[in-house]
Amino acid sequence: MLLVFSGALVLGGTLSATVIWLTSGLGRGLQPAWRIGLLAALTIVAVLREFHVLNIALPQNARQIPQEVFAKGPLLGPFQFGFELGTGVRTFVSASLPYVLAAALWLYATDYRIALLVGATFGLGRAAMTAARYWSGAVERGDERLERRITWLPPAALVVGVAAAAMIVASGVLHWRT
Amino acid sequence: MRHAASISAGHRVRVVLADASAPFVAFAGLLVGAVVLGSPVLAWASLAGLAGYSLSGST
Repeated sequence: MLLVFSGALVLGGTLSATVIWLTSGLGRGLQPAWRIGLLAALTIVAVLREFHVLNIALPQNARQIPQEVFAKGPLLGPFQFGFELGTGVRTFVSASLPYVLAAALWLYATDYRIALLVGATFGLGRAAMTAARYWSGAVERGDERLERRITWLPPAALVVGVAAAAMIVASGVLHWRT
Repeated sequence: MRHAASISAGHRVRVVLADASAPFVAFAGLLVGAVVLGSPVLAWASLAGLAGYSLSGST
């Protein structure tokens, strides 16, 4: 069940990343200064929001995936739940970093293989918490720790993610191989 | 002796996995790898993994 759920998360993430990449010709066609400016502006807004300086609502499909999907069976239920969650557009999006990722992909992904990698890793990132809880054998303790860490996790992920995005932009400017 | 060491190592792995920050450290480590190796591909993986992980708790 965990394998089906995680695989569906990866598939969902890959679908969304592919759709973004398919339209990325528009973004990559912009002048380099515009691309850096757009990504920097979005990143600044994301940081200000994550640190509660700006109070803005993220564009999101603010709904929970209905519990009824699990009635579809032990395989189809987790698959549909994971796939919808993996796309990132069918449910709540509580953190700002996925928007920075989508913008970076739209503006800087030069190759469809980057889109596939990004989609798959996004899905794996979403599956990581569930997998870690399952393998730890301490589900309740894992939930308690998540409760405590949920406050610092999105801002910390954003800070490290921004550093990664900066490296991606620098690689484009410096023409490192991708 | 070896059995005891193996149990201890297994216990440590479980403790690390039970810690909600373990995947965060792993994806941040990818960025360190990206910088050390000069690999934008690893930077993409780090960014995407962290983006997915930052949504933990959102269903």
